Amino acid sequence: MNPTDLAAVAPELLLVVMGAVLVLADAFVPALRPRFGAVAGASAVAAAILRWTGPLPGAVWSGALVVDPLARFVDSYILAAVVLVAVIAGPYLARTAASYGEFYGLLLFSAVGAMVLAKADSLLVVFIGLELLSISLYVLNAFHRDSGVSLEAGWKYLVVGAFASALLLFGIALLYGATGTFSLAATARVVAERPLAGNPLVLAGLALALAGFGFKLALVPFHAWAPDVYQGSPTPVTAFLSVVPKGAMLVTLARVVAALAPQALTPKWLPLLATIAVASQVLGNLVAIAQRDVKRMLAYSGIAHMGYALVGVVAFGFDGLVGVLVYLAAYTVMNIAAFAVVSAFSESEDEPHLITDLAGQGWRRPFLSFTLALAMFSLAGIPPTVGFVAKFLVFRAAVNQGLAWLAVVGVLASFVSVFFYVRVVYYLYMKPLPQRAPAYLEPWPVRVAAGACALAIVGLGIFPSWLLNAAETAAKTLLR
Amino acid sequence: MMPTDFLLSAIVLTPGVVGLLLLATPREAARLQRWVSLLASLLTLVLAAVAWSRFDPANASFQLVEARTWLPSVGIGYRLGMDGISLVLVLLTALLQPIVFISSWRSIHDKVKGYVVAMLLLETGVLGAFLATDLFLFYVFWELMLVPMYFIIGVWGGERRIYAAVKFVLFTLAGSLLMLVAIIYLSFVFHAQTGTWSFAYEDMLRAAVPMGQGFWHSPQMLLFAAFALAFAIKVPVFPLHTWLPDAHTEAPTGGSIILAGVLLKLGTYGLLRFNRPLFPEAWHRATPLFLTLAVIGIVYGALVAWAQKDMKKLVAYSSVTHMGFIVLGLFAGTVTSTQGALLQMVNHGLSTGALFLLVGVVYDRRHTRMIEDFGGLAAVMPLYTGAFLIATLSSIGLPGLNGFVGEFLILTGAFPRHPAFVAVAATGVVLGAVYMLSLVRRVFWNPLAIEANRSLPDLTWREALAFAPLAFFMVWIGVHPGTFLSLSETAVRRLIGG
Repeated sequence: MNPTDLAAVAPELLLVVMGAVLVLADAFVPALRPRFGAVAGASAVAAAILRWTGPLPGAVWSGALVVDPLARFVDSYILAAVVLVAVIAGPYLARTAASYGEFYGLLLFSAVGAMVLAKADSLLVVFIGLELLSISLYVLNAFHRDSGVSLEAGWKYLVVGAFASALLLFGIALLYGATGTFSLAATARVVAERPLAGNPLVLAGLALALAGFGFKLALVPFHAWAPDVYQGSPTPVTAFLSVVPKGAMLVTLARVVAALAPQALTPKWLPLLATIAVASQVLGNLVAIAQRDVKRMLAYSGIAHMGYALVGVVAFGFDGLVGVLVYLAAYTVMNIAAFAVVSAFSESEDEPHLITDLAGQGWRRPFLSFTLALAMFSLAGIPPTVGFVAKFLVFRAAVNQGLAWLAVVGVLASFVSVFFYVRVVYYLYMKPLPQRAPAYLEPWPVRVAAGACALAIVGLGIFPSWLLNAAETAAKTLLR
Repeated sequence: MMPTDFLLSAIVLTPGVVGLLLLATPREAARLQRWVSLLASLLTLVLAAVAWSRFDPANASFQLVEARTWLPSVGIGYRLGMDGISLVLVLLTALLQPIVFISSWRSIHDKVKGYVVAMLLLETGVLGAFLATDLFLFYVFWELMLVPMYFIIGVWGGERRIYAAVKFVLFTLAGSLLMLVAIIYLSFVFHAQTGTWSFAYEDMLRAAVPMGQGFWHSPQMLLFAAFALAFAIKVPVFPLHTWLPDAHTEAPTGGSIILAGVLLKLGTYGLLRFNRPLFPEAWHRATPLFLTLAVIGIVYGALVAWAQKDMKKLVAYSSVTHMGFIVLGLFAGTVTSTQGALLQMVNHGLSTGALFLLVGVVYDRRHTRMIEDFGGLAAVMPLYTGAFLIATLSSIGLPGLNGFVGEFLILTGAFPRHPAFVAVAATGVVLGAVYMLSLVRRVFWNPLAIEANRSLPDLTWREALAFAPLAFFMVWIGVHPGTFLSLSETAVRRLIGG
């Protein structure tokens, strides 16, 4: 261990310490509970500042982690998600009488897991990061311990997550057996020396690892857990769950692809990945049409969105990677915007969050409704929103790689998606308020978070060059 | 005076920026919102007039050009430019928008803020699409129109407004999403040929898209089809017109005026601006198809209009006919017919805008648009009758008014190349007179049988004020079309290489 190694992971260390402090403070000074959210948010901000001012030495800890501009990019949106979720969680937890320090502690721990995952240069560290992320989330999903749906969500995520972890671990074991190393770079060297055709062990390992990744990304056919877990989890947790694990996992996948270049190793790679992407888009969007619960609808929409983002991995290269990164950042703000509003537009956590319950809110609660409408249009990919820029970039990457058909399928799938996104807007603005108008609250923290997301959706939609430059800097390091 | 290098941006952004500022005003300040939105649209009109005065018709290329970097690594720029074609359409848009605000001064009384904001954002989208000289920017503005129009139809529309609004969105997006892929592919072709990334219109003109074999293996045919589908839905070309009667009928009066007056023009503008010069061989090959569809649209639209019982639906179907003439003029491909088509775009905006405005006037008084509910109005509303007659005569192409010049140029320009199509299309002129004059007869001349109609007040000064500029331009174009034809001639010659 040397000072460089320590400095490189200072943000993670800070978050782990603060997470532990919050858990302990809950036990010893419960009077401070209302301040925990602010502490968690401030810790995330401090971690982001450390990341942006600190060194980016590349490989540290004997090659276990890579702290590079790509890692900085991913950390930025993970930490932004933590801040936003901590902000909207305050009023939510107060309303549901669950303001415990463990919530924020676990939030910080899972963020650290995601940050480690996205920096991993060793397959073993991939697994460690993933487990830290997932186990914290299992508890968060079931945080309403008296609520049946919440427990069900935690239980489902646990069972499926454990299964996915097992698949991934088995895949890692096979890869280790074939190459004798956990390091991605070293694995790549071994694989390059021995052609893959005669190496079924590596192929099987890759396939199993991909399946494990697929579960975490909720890609078809590994998606079945998503709707129940999204619906049952506390809404701020759903917001976090819908963006952070996926963002980190997809970057990990990109690192694996950049190192091992499976698209060059096996001719089956591209069709396989393209099939997964297309199936996720088609199934996600079609089934989302049938949903009556906003959270379930957003779960299926999330399946479709990972399908779009995966197009950037299929069309792997500089453009593709930039597209993926911009997509993940865009997805973070628009999804959290949507869940922030949903967390406010709800009277009771035991009842479903029906789309019909939004009727007429557009004119009653204009600010939050406007944000939700904006998030819907952004998810549908309508300019001038960041969602459009993101879709444009991944489709452009596909066209430039000679995969124009993938872009055509992508836009057709977005066409289908417009139907259910626009339906939310329809209920908000074109349906009258019901006789018994629901008594939704609009706490100021939710307004602040929603406003920040709305600003990001439009601001990055009209001036995307800042985001694009950051993504390009990040992508360059991976494809040097 | 304003520096020239911001003039186009000022035209495009004024309505939208004012609209966003109005969002911050309180809900109750409807009076303020009405006045500010009207003044913003008048300011836009003044700026458009300034652009007209600075415009040099002898120069065929884009003028008042603005170019700023936006996403340099992808080759996307904020590029605006104006030639004669965009100038006349910008003038039309800027003229119609204040009329819309005046006409909805009283008829929109619920959620005024939302209405004026949507209208102003819509105007920015339309003006931006006419002035963008970067394909990415064009697409952004093109889609920007979608959301405000969805709200205008869906919130302030008639009984079946939801159906109409969703249909409008889905139809429009069905075409434009494929156009997005085509735009990306076009840039890819340009990169393959030159090694630079660009979405600039002038660059794309130099990209020679390979023609290939057949349809599915011909990049140029496929790109042409993707662009043409987006524009043909917007026009709308038969048989893609089915969204139009719903959207026009259900939209509030102001929405119908903008929809018919300006939004449909974006379709024909796109065909002329993009399809024609970017894919010349595919254009040539698709000409018979489009001429056929245009002629079917002319006759079919007229026949269906004839059968309508709802005045607004009748006017909506008359749009199908008129837009058919414009498509005919574009695909006939001579300078005369194209000039006629461009002029007819303006004419249709004026006459159909006026008709929707006037139908809205009686709807506000009687809350019905059924022809059978009227009759003999000439006796009680003389001023209104006169206005309606002017609009009708302009619409059916009476010499001395604008419609005649446009139709005449289209038909004479197309005749040497496609006499058969022109012969069929000419019947559409006759049918147009039939259904419009029979509408006038049934509404204005039949006996005043219905009691409720006896006490109808005539045009108010506000309604007359909204109609007056339209009538003024109908006469101006009818008497001296050269003012406007001369603006676009060089640009049209450059685009179609005539």
